[in-house]
Amino acid sequence: MQKFSFNRRLVIIIVCLIVSFALMTLSVAIRNKRSTPPLIQQFGNDIVGLADRVVALPANGLSGSVSSLSELLNTYQENQQLKKQVGELAQTKVRDQTLAKENKQLKKQIGLNASLTDYTAITAAVITRTPSSWQNQVVINKGSSAGVVKNMPVMSGSGLVGRIAEVNKTNSKVELITDNNDSANRFAVQITTKSGKTVNGVLSGFNANSGEITMNNLTTKAKISKGDKVVTSGLGGVTPKGLYVGQVAKSTGDDYGLSTKLYITPATDLSSLNIVTVAVTKQ
Amino acid sequence: MYRLSKLRFGFPIGLFLFLFLDGSISQVFSTHLFRYSAVMVSHLVVLWLICAILFEDRIDMPLARWAAVMGAVFDLYYTGIFGVYVFIFPLVVYLTRVLTRYISPNFLSGLLIYFIDITLVEALGYLASRMVHLTNMAGSTFLVTTLGPTLALNLALFVILYFPIRWVYNWLN
Repeated sequence: MQKFSFNRRLVIIIVCLIVSFALMTLSVAIRNKRSTPPLIQQFGNDIVGLADRVVALPANGLSGSVSSLSELLNTYQENQQLKKQVGELAQTKVRDQTLAKENKQLKKQIGLNASLTDYTAITAAVITRTPSSWQNQVVINKGSSAGVVKNMPVMSGSGLVGRIAEVNKTNSKVELITDNNDSANRFAVQITTKSGKTVNGVLSGFNANSGEITMNNLTTKAKISKGDKVVTSGLGGVTPKGLYVGQVAKSTGDDYGLSTKLYITPATDLSSLNIVTVAVTKQ
Repeated sequence: MYRLSKLRFGFPIGLFLFLFLDGSISQVFSTHLFRYSAVMVSHLVVLWLICAILFEDRIDMPLARWAAVMGAVFDLYYTGIFGVYVFIFPLVVYLTRVLTRYISPNFLSGLLIYFIDITLVEALGYLASRMVHLTNMAGSTFLVTTLGPTLALNLALFVILYFPIRWVYNWLN
């Protein structure tokens, strides 16, 4: 009898393992192929997301007030520095407006409706973050009803932070660029060097030890130096052109000495996100 | 007994509250918890489940079923990969039940049991992530950068929350 119950337990464990593995593989496949998760999952996620707001809103509000209190202390110094910058910024803004206007007129003349740089923005708040060390994901409070579509780029502050990985009706998951999994989407970017040459490439991963984005397999002869700006190139898909990714921190040869490997310092602090912007391209 | 007590509604509410608190803590303290050299993951849901076994062992609650429901919500809402925690959480409940048969539960032995449970949750979660290629971290790196800090955080939370949670369970009962 003892032997029988032991065998039964073993069978249950093995069946559970097989079912678990099958479910995991299936959900990863669905996640990679389909633009939205199955309807039941969407529905469940919407309801859980609504319930989560009851807990998340007070928590986020509390943290917001605490951080604003601590920020109050160094406001004076910051104010001094910012005043200097504002003068320069007004100048740049006016010039930017003029250029945008001119750009619009020129586009009209050649009959160009939308180019790679055009996008509209959806602002969303971060509800919660996945409590797991294997997935750097946040859940935001805008979903397909607000016009969010899978694989759209997400920005925060001055730069790119990730892409939409899963869309429900009223919330969606953002996979941050710090996520290193195999199926993570890699952004097509370009670097304009000091000599004016443009280098195209694809982001290849994230170096967790130094906190820098890595970019492999560059076979360009152009000299890329520290501080060169990296922006999205708009090639191959839903990402618009000209989203700021970061600055080149280091340029080295790769492990085999055949191509160049770049380390890029991200433009925004990826560990604290509260408000994000989803960039929607017109298609 | 269980049908009549406040526990019948209080327990699931607490469960969901702690599940959402896990996410909110990760979000609010993300700068401190998700450093590159040391990742700390809070598992308050597990704490609430384990405390239910430690404090309410006389009352027959459908704990394993609730653990599976919580695992399913965790998988669908947080990670998006179904089939990981939906099996791990009931397994932890089962393991704790087996352990409490041999060790009489009090504060210190509870700490020991929770230590084993968190190790199991993290290790199995790591293995599952390795299998579906969510991570390619080496086992030794996992021990140092994730398991160690996570254990430290969760044991600290256990010490802080043990008596408040016991008070809540007594009040619910």
